[in-house]
Amino acid sequence: MGRVKVFNSALVLTLLIFVSWHPAAAQAQKADSSKSAPQTAATAPAKYAGSDACKVCHADEYSSWEKSPHWKTTLNTKQGPSHQGCEACHGAAANHAADPSNTAGLFDFTKASAKEINDQCLECHAGGTQHMNALNSVHAKNGVSCIACHSPHHSVTKEFMLVKAQPELCYSCHLAKKAEFAMPFHHRVNEGLIQCTDCHNPHGTEGPKQVRMASTQDAVCFKCHADKQGPFVYEHAPIKVDGCTSCHVVHGGPNAHMLKVSNVNLLCLQCHTTSFSSAPGAPSFHNQASFFQACTLCHSAIHGSNFSSFFFK
Amino acid sequence: MNRQRTVVALGLLLLAAVWLAPRSSAQETSGQTQGVKSGDYNVQQTIDFGYRANEINGNIDTYDTFVNLGSGVRLFDYSLDMRSIDHKGLFFDNLHFSNFGYGGDPNDVSRLSIDKNKWFDFSAQFRRDKNFWDYNLFVNPLNPAALNPVGSATTGCIVSGPSSANPGLPGYCSNPSVPQTNTPHALDLVRKMQDYDLTLLPQSRIRFRLGFSHDSDQGPGFFTSDFGAMPDFPENYSFRTSTYRMGVDFRVLPRTTISYDQFLNYFRQDNAVIENPTATPQQYGFQANGVPVNLGIVWSTQTPAEALPCAAPIANATTTPPTANPICNGFVAYSQVGQPRDFMPTERLRFESNYFRKFETSGAFGYSSSDNTISNFNERMIGWTTRTSSPGSTAAGPVEAKRVSVDADWSGVYAITNSFRIEDFFHYNNWRIPAQWNSILGSLFLSQGAVSAGLNGLGAPVGNFDSSCNAGNSFSGPTCPNHAANSAADLVDAYNANFLKQDMKSNSLEFEYDLTKRISAHIGYLYTHRQIVMSTFSQTLADIYYPGGATASSSNDYLAARGNCAVATNCTANPDGSLTFTPPPPTSGPSVDSLSISENSLLLGARARPTDSLVISGDFSFGYNDAAFTRIDPRQVQSYKMHATYTPKPWATVDGAIEIHENRDNVYTVNNLEHDRMYSFNTMLAPKPQLAISFGYNYWDVYTQSNICFNYSITYLNPTPPPNTLPVSTSPPGVNTAACTIPGASVGASGLDALSTYASTDHFAHADLMWRPFKRVTADLGYGGSFVRGNTIFLNPLAPSGTLDYNYQMPYGSIAIDMYKGVSYKMSWNYYGFNEAGNTSPFGLAPIPLQDFNGSNITFAIGYSF
Repeated sequence: MGRVKVFNSALVLTLLIFVSWHPAAAQAQKADSSKSAPQTAATAPAKYAGSDACKVCHADEYSSWEKSPHWKTTLNTKQGPSHQGCEACHGAAANHAADPSNTAGLFDFTKASAKEINDQCLECHAGGTQHMNALNSVHAKNGVSCIACHSPHHSVTKEFMLVKAQPELCYSCHLAKKAEFAMPFHHRVNEGLIQCTDCHNPHGTEGPKQVRMASTQDAVCFKCHADKQGPFVYEHAPIKVDGCTSCHVVHGGPNAHMLKVSNVNLLCLQCHTTSFSSAPGAPSFHNQASFFQACTLCHSAIHGSNFSSFFFK
Repeated sequence: MNRQRTVVALGLLLLAAVWLAPRSSAQETSGQTQGVKSGDYNVQQTIDFGYRANEINGNIDTYDTFVNLGSGVRLFDYSLDMRSIDHKGLFFDNLHFSNFGYGGDPNDVSRLSIDKNKWFDFSAQFRRDKNFWDYNLFVNPLNPAALNPVGSATTGCIVSGPSSANPGLPGYCSNPSVPQTNTPHALDLVRKMQDYDLTLLPQSRIRFRLGFSHDSDQGPGFFTSDFGAMPDFPENYSFRTSTYRMGVDFRVLPRTTISYDQFLNYFRQDNAVIENPTATPQQYGFQANGVPVNLGIVWSTQTPAEALPCAAPIANATTTPPTANPICNGFVAYSQVGQPRDFMPTERLRFESNYFRKFETSGAFGYSSSDNTISNFNERMIGWTTRTSSPGSTAAGPVEAKRVSVDADWSGVYAITNSFRIEDFFHYNNWRIPAQWNSILGSLFLSQGAVSAGLNGLGAPVGNFDSSCNAGNSFSGPTCPNHAANSAADLVDAYNANFLKQDMKSNSLEFEYDLTKRISAHIGYLYTHRQIVMSTFSQTLADIYYPGGATASSSNDYLAARGNCAVATNCTANPDGSLTFTPPPPTSGPSVDSLSISENSLLLGARARPTDSLVISGDFSFGYNDAAFTRIDPRQVQSYKMHATYTPKPWATVDGAIEIHENRDNVYTVNNLEHDRMYSFNTMLAPKPQLAISFGYNYWDVYTQSNICFNYSITYLNPTPPPNTLPVSTSPPGVNTAACTIPGASVGASGLDALSTYASTDHFAHADLMWRPFKRVTADLGYGGSFVRGNTIFLNPLAPSGTLDYNYQMPYGSIAIDMYKGVSYKMSWNYYGFNEAGNTSPFGLAPIPLQDFNGSNITFAIGYSF
């Protein structure tokens, strides 16, 4: 622990020195201070034109928006015009309406950074069942903004305004997952039965890999595979301690039941070879040269049992 | 003939399509309609239905396991969209309803969403999955082939020395040979999943959420276990889970949300296993003494280490069905019933806030408990188990297992400057599972009448200790159980308590810095501490010994004074003549194992956008753990993820990705190394609306190794092995033929050790071409194929290579024609080819059907949008 603390302290100090010294940081700080002046000026009440004014020139965009869930922003009378209509996302447009070449003050989604875009969307979409952990979004951290997946004006799906339907939307970045789901043993994602978002929350979760948690605060796998959840009198401890991925791949794989290896006995023997581990070794009467190659032939309740410490039933 | 008819039909339809195409193009544009106005709503509907013709050759069970699309009329798609034109619908403003798969496809899905602006959002989802599963090599006992015919070069078992024709090791043999042609764990389940969610006042400062989910998974399957013989019992599976959700979001503070959720989960399982072998000839059953018997699925009658179901299972092969040897492992009746009921309430409080512009934070606290009870467990087996000379057993007793989980997390991001942020994430998770089973286990004995008549083993009557067995007849009635002096207790009442717990805390601290507008990087440190506690406890509460047996006399309490009651004064005499032994209280508590693991990881990442058309990102982590819970838990972890996207034109995108995970538990007793490496690229080109091309390739390389110790015994059964055969101590390549050298390993005198290896590579290629040669005609042609190759150590000489080597190819094509005002016609073709490429039939293995299948589906569909 002592070494860890020393390492932590050194890391923090190094970074602070680096940040305070680095020219880019200095420039950024200068930029911050220089930006603050116009921001102060901009605190004067912005002038809003209203969505009807936008419609005059941006008829197509208006039409798609008017049919989208974002139209509901017009009902937000309490928060005023800054939260209503086109200007809720694009900013006050009175000056732009008066002089179309004047785009100052408008929020340009095509030029904004991922963080700026996300901040803009989360002004309204923060919280709720999907965005409560937006702070921990791995997508956001890697520069993937909301509009990488959602298109308020040009969506192809009726729900959630996605630029592509799942799973192709996810495959467009997660290329390897397409190969995994093309394996003969796979979760039925390509078939449309389940979606990537059934297990993952692309907006961020408290756990790694943006994996959701079951409502029982357990692995998301147990939402469907409830019979494996237990609790059991005789738990197969690695399942609870390390998770289902101790033995299975999660998306799809070459082996039956998406096991990590092709022969069941080799999977078991990797742990059940006594050598200073908590797992007991395979007993001496299990002749691996004969039918014991599939341990689950006898130990069929391998995910946990209430009646057999050997997982026989 | 079928194929000819299909080809002719295909040709005619194609001709019709080509004939219609130019006519259609001259007509009014249809395609996606603008819908119809109905009252205040714009209504759009699309229906796509037709017929799928299916012709698959090869192993249909494997096809159904992988694909399971059959022939018949199908609803391929139906969708309904209603949108209130003036946003003032009476009951709702928007409705979206979509469906597919009905009519017999394995996956049927319906999704519905309805909203009424600021009043409510409602979504519902119904999914049905027909899960047929029979990949016949999985858990297959790999029964050996039969004896060589008389007059063969070798007599007795099929044996042979290694040669080019037969590189295998000597095989076992069986008389008779009974191949297992299906997986013993086959399933034919139907899973139905329903989800309903309602949000009230979705835009208000306080909004309410209600939800309900119901999952069920039911159908026939099979269950195997070990009772001497290894039976494959039919089991009726039935799992049901109901989840009720209630939640409320408070958004009364600016830019802050506080949520409270309550979940109530109910799980019930109603599986039942009832096996009464029938008298008809069975795949695995034979009669014994006129009683139908199940001899299990493992047939290896001359296996040196353990012959199953016994060395000579057939006493008379001329009867129909053949008559089993009664002194053989087998079953004449089995039943198991146990109905778990589990109630799992969970409360969760969450918040997120960016109230302070430079400081964003979120967190959660949750508490969940689970109470799994089984009050009616009962198992009864009647048959014969050779190793215990037992005609059966019973088991019962109540079960209660609990799980208590506390989960909390907190995240904070502080923006020191616009370009420099500090992020901290803390996660705490503590769960514990205390569980107990009060087991009441009974041993059955043959009846005295059966023993007197010389009946033994399978089918012989089992004794019952009931009112007909009493002191008046000296416990010697014909239906009374027959004990020997060393017979086990008739009933054992025991208390079993187990405990498993994990306490986990982790914290990551990261610094994120935007070096320029186009380049940013982050560095961090993740520390995790886990404390795992396990304990087991088992205590006999009472042994009960029934009287009765050939040597019963008043001096030995009619044989009830045996085992722990050998000295009768240790036990209490019961009015029915039995003796009860009550052990003294335990002098020590349960054994407790505890393990503490500290995990340290360095996190690095960067992303860059050197030009507007190129984005590159990378995430790396390097971890070290000071202990491992299992042998394959890593002590060293390395992870590398890189992704680049190049968009030279708005219509052209090239993606490349590398994902590498390296795990090591390389202490010398384990020597575990694992890697999982993926390299991918994908290209999408859509230069014109009429043309789109995409293609890609993925290489997946998986490797794992570790030292293993195992028992291994293989010998020739031939009295005189043929010349040039392997020595008796033959072991698989890569296995150390000396005794197991891993310290602490205990696998007996014949224990060997080896470096267990598994390597698998997959080349996956895919391509898709979409082309619109005419305004109303869309053609699509594509391909997806996986080519898997691998190797592993084979301990069983009869094991086929199975999933180590195969090609799985799925080309497809379709043509869609917009014919007239929303009416379209679509014809599609999908080919499925699964072909194993390794050693599918090792020498000496009783024949198992190949897993390969090849064939096509052709669908003819009419679509109508209005």
